[in-house]
Amino acid sequence: MSPRKPLLIAVIALHAAGLSSIPAAEKMDINSGRQWWAFQPLGKTSPPSPQDDLWSRSDIDSFILDRLQRAGLKPSPQADRRTLIRRATFDLTGLPPTRAEVDDFVSDPSPSAFARVVDRLLNSPHYGEQWARHWLDVARYSDTKGYVYAREEKNFVQASPYRDWVVSALNSDMPYDLFLRRQLAADQIEPERSPHLAAMGFLTLGRRFLGVTHDIIDDRIDVVMSATQALTVSCARCHDHKFDPIPTSDYYALYGVFHSCAEAVVPCSPQTAGSPAFQSGLRERQDKLTRAMETRREEQAARVRGRITDHLLAQFELDKYPEETFTQIISATDINPIFVRRWQSYLADAARQKNRVFAAWHAFANIAGEDFPKLSPIATQTMQTLPPTALHPAVKRLFTTPPATMVEVAQRYGALLTGIDTQWQDQQRNTPKVAAMASADDEELRQVLYSADSPCSVPDEHLANNEWFFPTNIVVELWKLQAEVDRWLIQSPNAPAYTTILADRAVPVTPRIFLRGNPTTKGAEVSRHFLQVLAGENAKPFTNGSGRLELARAITSPKNPLTARVIVNRVWAHHFGKGIVATPSDFGKRAEPPSHPELLDFLARRFMDEGWSLKRLHRHILLSAAYQQSSFGSNDPEVLAHAQEVDADNRLLWRTNTHRLSFEEMRDATLAAAGDLDLSIGGRPADLFAAQNKRRTLYAKVDREHLPSVLGTFDFANPDLSIPVRNDTIVPQQALFGLNHPFLARQAKALIASLSRTPDHSDAQLLTQLYSTLYQRPPSAAETSAALNFLNTPAVVKKSEPSAWLYGFGEWDEATGKVKNFTPLPHFTGSAWQGGDTWPDAKLGWAQLTATGGHPGNNRQHAVVRRWIAPQDGMYGITSSLIHEPTAGDGIRAFIAHGTRGLLRSCQIHHSSEQLDLDPIALAKGESLDFVVDIRDGLNSDQFLWSPKITSTEPALLGGNGESRSWDARSDFHLTSSDSLTPWQQLAQTLLLANEFVFID
Amino acid sequence: MSAPLHPPTLSRRELLRRSGLGMGMLGLADLLGQTPASAGAIGQPNFAPKAKRMIHFFLNGGPSHVDTFDPKPNLQKYASKPLPQTLLTERKTGVAFPSPFAFQRYGQSGIAVSELFAKTAQHIDDIAVIRSMQAQVPNHEPSLMLMNCGDSIRTRPSLGSWLMYGLGSENQNLPGFVAMCPGGHPIKGAENWQSAFLPGAHQGTYVDSKHTDVDRLIENIRSPHVLPDDQRRQLDLLRTLNSNHRQGRLDPRLDARVQSFELAFRMQTEATDAFDLSREPQHLRALYGDTVHGRQTLIARRLIERGVRYVQLWHGAGQPWDSHENIETNHRKLAAEIDQPIAALLSDLKSRGMLEDTLILWGGEFGRTPSVEMSGNKSKLGRDHNHYGFSVWMAGGGIRGGTIHGSTDEFGFAATEDPVSAHDLHATILHLMGLDHERLTYRYSGRDFRLTDVEGELIRSVIA
Repeated sequence: MSPRKPLLIAVIALHAAGLSSIPAAEKMDINSGRQWWAFQPLGKTSPPSPQDDLWSRSDIDSFILDRLQRAGLKPSPQADRRTLIRRATFDLTGLPPTRAEVDDFVSDPSPSAFARVVDRLLNSPHYGEQWARHWLDVARYSDTKGYVYAREEKNFVQASPYRDWVVSALNSDMPYDLFLRRQLAADQIEPERSPHLAAMGFLTLGRRFLGVTHDIIDDRIDVVMSATQALTVSCARCHDHKFDPIPTSDYYALYGVFHSCAEAVVPCSPQTAGSPAFQSGLRERQDKLTRAMETRREEQAARVRGRITDHLLAQFELDKYPEETFTQIISATDINPIFVRRWQSYLADAARQKNRVFAAWHAFANIAGEDFPKLSPIATQTMQTLPPTALHPAVKRLFTTPPATMVEVAQRYGALLTGIDTQWQDQQRNTPKVAAMASADDEELRQVLYSADSPCSVPDEHLANNEWFFPTNIVVELWKLQAEVDRWLIQSPNAPAYTTILADRAVPVTPRIFLRGNPTTKGAEVSRHFLQVLAGENAKPFTNGSGRLELARAITSPKNPLTARVIVNRVWAHHFGKGIVATPSDFGKRAEPPSHPELLDFLARRFMDEGWSLKRLHRHILLSAAYQQSSFGSNDPEVLAHAQEVDADNRLLWRTNTHRLSFEEMRDATLAAAGDLDLSIGGRPADLFAAQNKRRTLYAKVDREHLPSVLGTFDFANPDLSIPVRNDTIVPQQALFGLNHPFLARQAKALIASLSRTPDHSDAQLLTQLYSTLYQRPPSAAETSAALNFLNTPAVVKKSEPSAWLYGFGEWDEATGKVKNFTPLPHFTGSAWQGGDTWPDAKLGWAQLTATGGHPGNNRQHAVVRRWIAPQDGMYGITSSLIHEPTAGDGIRAFIAHGTRGLLRSCQIHHSSEQLDLDPIALAKGESLDFVVDIRDGLNSDQFLWSPKITSTEPALLGGNGESRSWDARSDFHLTSSDSLTPWQQLAQTLLLANEFVFID
Repeated sequence: MSAPLHPPTLSRRELLRRSGLGMGMLGLADLLGQTPASAGAIGQPNFAPKAKRMIHFFLNGGPSHVDTFDPKPNLQKYASKPLPQTLLTERKTGVAFPSPFAFQRYGQSGIAVSELFAKTAQHIDDIAVIRSMQAQVPNHEPSLMLMNCGDSIRTRPSLGSWLMYGLGSENQNLPGFVAMCPGGHPIKGAENWQSAFLPGAHQGTYVDSKHTDVDRLIENIRSPHVLPDDQRRQLDLLRTLNSNHRQGRLDPRLDARVQSFELAFRMQTEATDAFDLSREPQHLRALYGDTVHGRQTLIARRLIERGVRYVQLWHGAGQPWDSHENIETNHRKLAAEIDQPIAALLSDLKSRGMLEDTLILWGGEFGRTPSVEMSGNKSKLGRDHNHYGFSVWMAGGGIRGGTIHGSTDEFGFAATEDPVSAHDLHATILHLMGLDHERLTYRYSGRDFRLTDVEGELIRSVIA
């Protein structure tokens, strides 16, 4: 929602006095809102007993069959064993089964064979990895912060520790309620250094929103409430929720919880972890940061103390001091808006607490306006009658005469406090050991300026919490020091785990509603409390610090009607393709009600009864007949057609839904097929497509600002948002990735290399191995025939020729009119021949040839040479345009040379183009034409476009039918890759791209 | 094996019903030869569009309006004196700073434009200048997000993604949304063309137009491992295998995926053709200029001719127009880089009869202050960010040319008459493209989101 312009000064002054002239919104009827099914306690329905039930194997099935029967539908036959084990293995681990695992299961006669498969899979450490990724979608997981200014380290200290904690928690079947409580409040229920502190990455891994506090808190409220309660509480940021019984006061109640916490980076590993070098390096960096922070904090507080009057006067011009969203470059001589706002809150608190120092301020603020001159003497008189408990004596003395304006009130207060500060500083100089002022009254005034929560002070917290308090150049300096600490933690080899937690501030914040979500227009105060619709009519506010632990307990209470339903539904959705509630993160009134409400409640109730165990839930689901159905539907075409007629969406589950592999599952399965998959668990992320990265895709680096676009193409969960269900699109860019990205080609090669070959292995036998590895089944006769046909089709004419083009570098020899020292360029990137992986290359510099042109090397010894070899004796003509575009530099030299006869054409061009055509000349078979470009004299902006076309008019070359033959440098460019795939490798790639690999029945 | 389940004579609704997977399933439309659904798009306008495609010149960094399209002669009166009112900005500003550039009236409409865009100004009668644009804060990052995605802070889909979602692409063989920026990303990078919660297929395709190598321009557009003829044979084999696999299976995604490979194969040739300027006649290359900006503008014309829906042309990596200092030198150089290409595009489109259904938008994330930027006590001879009032202009499909909408105060600091927000601009753009900004929604997190959030009024005076 867009912020509105700030209100006028008069209203703000009233706010400063703790009042609000904005009428409260009509009270929402939460009681009737509570009637919505999601807020009702779990039902107690027992499983029904459908008629003639020979199909059900479990309670789940009774519920499913009952609905099917009522709709006149039948369940589908059981899937065969191969299908079942593929489905279960992908579901539970995200990996394919091995052929051996499939064979063992298929040939195991015991009726409990599948149960044993399920148990094996649940006990696999890869179960935790698969299901961690599902949770990370919802947790908006990222390894980086998203956009931050360059001064800050963009990688999160807590990312890998959080991810690994989730994997480990799921593998150990941590009870789900504890799983949540730790993510919300591990700081309060775990000892120092506990590995469970890493759980709090859940709260602290959100985007940074340029440091804007309100948005950081909003992100936390959203992720907690969407993920655990499936409620869109964020909608109540600006107004009462339009649909669900969540008033805006509930949003700000939660806002207060999070605003009462500060981030802190702490170890979540034992004291003994980390080498001495690591520890000392860490201490050194931390000390530097701590010292700088202390110094800068004190300097800043002193600056504020030095300008008390200005900060008080600022209270009347609050619109000159914008909120965090309006960033200003602040220098040390500026009044920092955040201190103006701190004074604003401080004064508001003082009013509420009837603070005797500021009683006069508020009394005068109450009469601000055009009547001030008239009322001031009366107020002053009244003030003189107040007892010391109501009015500080020094302040009373301040107002023996009426002030003419509020400005004068501010000036008098300013003088008083500044005077106290001066006295204190003198006292400190003379008697530094004395910790307070002698007079209690004086000390009380001094505390206004010097206490830990004085509005002059900078909170002693991690920079992420207090960066707004410093001038811009100081913030930069401090972030750089913080970044040194962060990088030490993130990059040191074998560094012990650290994490970012939230910890309660000493004094919790009482939140105020922001009207229309605008922090400059504050409404009523609210307590910190849980959602009223869930907390019940007699709910009490939180009393324990921020209330975060109480929040966690309210969420994980067995009486909470949402938490168990929500997680059960998420698990169901991943197994069946769609949740009982179709919108796993929205159980509110906008969402479809559950397709099987009694089943959902039955499962949720049992889930809690069984200790909130996810593994037991998986087991119940996988061992049901419903889960084990075929996805083909009935064999009987009439039954099938009828089912499609009645329940096109398959909401009643008359069959299972096909599962399309996610990007991660697809990449993992592709690696696994070649035996290439590195199954090591945990640790730092790796670059997704780095050639040497063979780890599970879970461990690919998630960089919010530089997410490989292929991930978006494949509907990977956006790391900025809590994603309950990924999109499911089919677009040609996905196919382009599969066809052309080096990853598939590499894996196709690895796959073929991994097949065991003996000299007498026939093609058919190799093909059988391939199918066995990829699909865990033998190929059919038709498939074998299609594959062998593919392998044995004569290669395209061009392929059997030696390559016509060579790409190299050398030196143009004026004397001979030829290239000397021709050397091929060693590295092909897919679109360019050059010196190495990076360009410019360390040895060969800028030398590069592409389909359309290129760039000469750094000196005349490294001219680039596109060499064409004549395949036959004949007459060959050349047409080409040489283009040099840049205005900078001195341009290039270009030469066309006959390999034997020497120079044919040359030119020098700069910021222009030249047509370089040649009438047909004679070349013998094997003789070359060289197209040479060098830097001329200076290396500067020498890139060029030049893709010549060579045409032969010799009929002999094409079987004598008189057509001319041509070689186009541009379109021929990709013929000559040494990376090209052999027919077997192309076949392997094709099988990896086939639907069977990607869609699991 | 069951009989084929999807005879093509069935209506789309019928097919969806019978597929067993319902309305939510994507890709079934592929059987009918369409792909919007498989890409998660609605694929058609709400009403007849005035513009079918759009080119957006994004002058990232924030071009000064008082030096380009909003003449303020009164700044002369106050030269070297403080303005009567200086609004809060990101940095300190000082005295009034009159424009060092000469303004002149152009065309029949007589609208004044500075010398910086003299060539573009030849087309002023086709242009509607909006002088009362406003953003929310004077900072680049939020303002970029606001102008491109409709929200300063939160992750929201970009305008281009909404257009893709609403309209789909006219050409399946090219990405429908292309963002070109020479030399690297602008500030905020790919967030400027993000799809957020819309399907990832709608994200912009970034192209570094500094490269002249066509193959570098689109990811994975060519195989370095397999010749096209062999790839064709792979696809034929794939089709056979997939056809066998298909038997008895009910999921419509299977066919959609098969189609996507065919589209991809065609895309390989068509995409590289689109970016290949050697196919343009020399006189046109000269008209646009053989420079990186001339080239990217000409590429944009080729892309929209081929059905690309929305092309965004950034000026360069970072924020080149952010002239905090030496604005005379800096803005002169920057304008010289794009004035000719913009004028060329307008002429070229006109001569092809394409201007009437192509929407052109020009502008940055905010404007600049009429007061000079200071560093301590020294003038930097530049201008700070100004979100209170700045200029953008539109031309082409559905735009009433030769008009001015709104105005700023006498100095050019704040919009005073008919202020226009990004939401208003977006509502108007969507309207011209045939979409009702209130009806183009997407359900995410329990709410039907739209580009314009809960705001946005059509700027009626610029609509023909």
